[in-house]
Amino acid sequence: MEINLFKSNKNVFWEALLVTILIFVLGVIAGFVLENWRTSNIDYLYVNSELNLLDVKVQSEIYGIGDFDCNAAINENINFANRIYEEANTLEKYQKASMLTEDLIVSHKKYDLLRTLLLLNSIKIKKECNASYSNVVYFYRFRDKNPDIIAKESVFSKLLVQLKEKMGNEILLIPIGFDGNVSSVKLILDNYNISENELPVILINEKIKIKDVETVEDLMKYFD
Amino acid sequence: MDVLPIIYLIYMFISLYMLNFFLIIYFKNRKNFFDSPETTKKYSISFVVPAYNEGKTIEDTIKHIFDIDYAHIKQVIVVNDCSTDNTKQVLQKLKKKYKKLIIINNKINLGNAARSQNVGLKYVKGDLIAIVDGDSFPARDSLKKMVGFFDDPKVGAVTVPVLARNREKFIEKLQALEYIAISFGRKLLEYVDAIYVTPGPLALYRKEALLGIGGFDEDNLTQDIEATWDITSRGWDRKMALSTSVTSQVPDKWGVWWKQRRRWNIGGLQCIWKYRNSLGRHGMLGAFIIPFFVLSLFLGLIGLGIFFYLLITNIISKFLYTRYSIIAGTPIVSLNDFYLTPSFLNYLGIIMFLLGFAYLILILYALKEKIFVKENILNIPFYLIVYLMIYPFVLVDSIYHWWFGSKKWR
Repeated sequence: MEINLFKSNKNVFWEALLVTILIFVLGVIAGFVLENWRTSNIDYLYVNSELNLLDVKVQSEIYGIGDFDCNAAINENINFANRIYEEANTLEKYQKASMLTEDLIVSHKKYDLLRTLLLLNSIKIKKECNASYSNVVYFYRFRDKNPDIIAKESVFSKLLVQLKEKMGNEILLIPIGFDGNVSSVKLILDNYNISENELPVILINEKIKIKDVETVEDLMKYFD
Repeated sequence: MDVLPIIYLIYMFISLYMLNFFLIIYFKNRKNFFDSPETTKKYSISFVVPAYNEGKTIEDTIKHIFDIDYAHIKQVIVVNDCSTDNTKQVLQKLKKKYKKLIIINNKINLGNAARSQNVGLKYVKGDLIAIVDGDSFPARDSLKKMVGFFDDPKVGAVTVPVLARNREKFIEKLQALEYIAISFGRKLLEYVDAIYVTPGPLALYRKEALLGIGGFDEDNLTQDIEATWDITSRGWDRKMALSTSVTSQVPDKWGVWWKQRRRWNIGGLQCIWKYRNSLGRHGMLGAFIIPFFVLSLFLGLIGLGIFFYLLITNIISKFLYTRYSIIAGTPIVSLNDFYLTPSFLNYLGIIMFLLGFAYLILILYALKEKIFVKENILNIPFYLIVYLMIYPFVLVDSIYHWWFGSKKWR
């Protein structure tokens, strides 16, 4: 008895494959468009923030020529830090949802460098003006998959939000992510004797290192 | 890109392919979807009905058979496999009413339906053999709609949609949906010569085809699948008469349901093992049916593995997070946690779910089932999201039982 491979509708296997590939490719393209749109949003925010930081730095240089207006410099610095902290939250959310492109990783590193510059500027202003606010730098691992690290970093983030709510502009909150590939951040860590294995670490006023999870009340004692 | 998103995309691709495959077949053939060829031939039909403890349903089954609007039913052979309930008494009562009813009482319990069916096959005299389960109820027009296919000398078997008879409880309603979807899919597979089962509730065989394979495999827990694969390997065509049906009692308890599905899976595994050398050979058996079964197996197992991996890592993450939150005195859940930023895979998943939903609605529409009734609106999402996800768990249990040799029918 003759056995035929296809009796009817024999092209349906290839037709279905063609249609599927078409729809799938369109879907992936849509994915790229979505992620590129998010990257564009972040880049737009970044460019504005970069401009603002440059503005703050130039103002510091101008004041260096004449009298240094500490109040203005401190306020500018704190406002700038608050704004890029919010942008950092947006970036983190976009980055967790990013699957196809790595553009947001580049944006993340650019923000880390920006925040590093902010920290250096803040240290300079504090020294020049004998300012009373505290630098609170949160160094964290960027793109780590260890569940213990991820859990700790999530709690640290919430802890610092609470601390900021309680202490307002008495602290300048600067989160800086590290994945081993940005030399300036590595230098800063080395400068403060923080090894990569210790991350996440909260550094208060360039002196006090906090590696373990504590309550916000315990954290506030470090500022007394 | 990480490994998991790639696996996720592969699953999406395969799901999308199968969906497109079925949709293309449907739209190409929807005009003749319900057609059943007419015939002038008078095929005589012998029924074989295996019965073990079917006291509650056998009377109704026999009545349904004799109510079928077909003038050439030659005999109805019921094989009672030493039932311990009142099956024998019910049959003896029916014998007085139906002269063509032949009752065979096995001297010892043979243990499964296949053995009883083979006993019945020894007595068949008709041109065609109808196999009916002891708890199934063929429609009145079933034979008229099925016999015409046999005018094509290449046709070896004809099947019909199997629908759920009992639809009261939630589990029964889910199975009702499932059976409708399976019937639709099976009809579509007919157009590519890929019908892989002529289910036991009602199947009609050409005598030459069924006896030519030696009857049913008595070691197989799904002897209907095995018989279909055997006749396929010998070049016989299989058809489906969608315009009629048979209803069957479905399990009304999850434990019974689980055992039934485990038996189906074990039977499927037995068939894959038995016909492993047919891969790539014997027409659509080796080109589609076996690869389809094997792929389903792998996808189910890999999917389950990924599910457990994600579940365990999630539990560990949540545990660690909760522990640190308690130490820090920070809220375990905050408003910010609900601000979702979906990835493109999340969107794809939603689209796939909606496509699956739409496909199920299409099936109900095509088979003229009521769509916008309360039960379907509530049951369809549950069916798509939860019910279908239970299958991989049954599969693991089945593989375990198959591997360690537990092949009991009951």
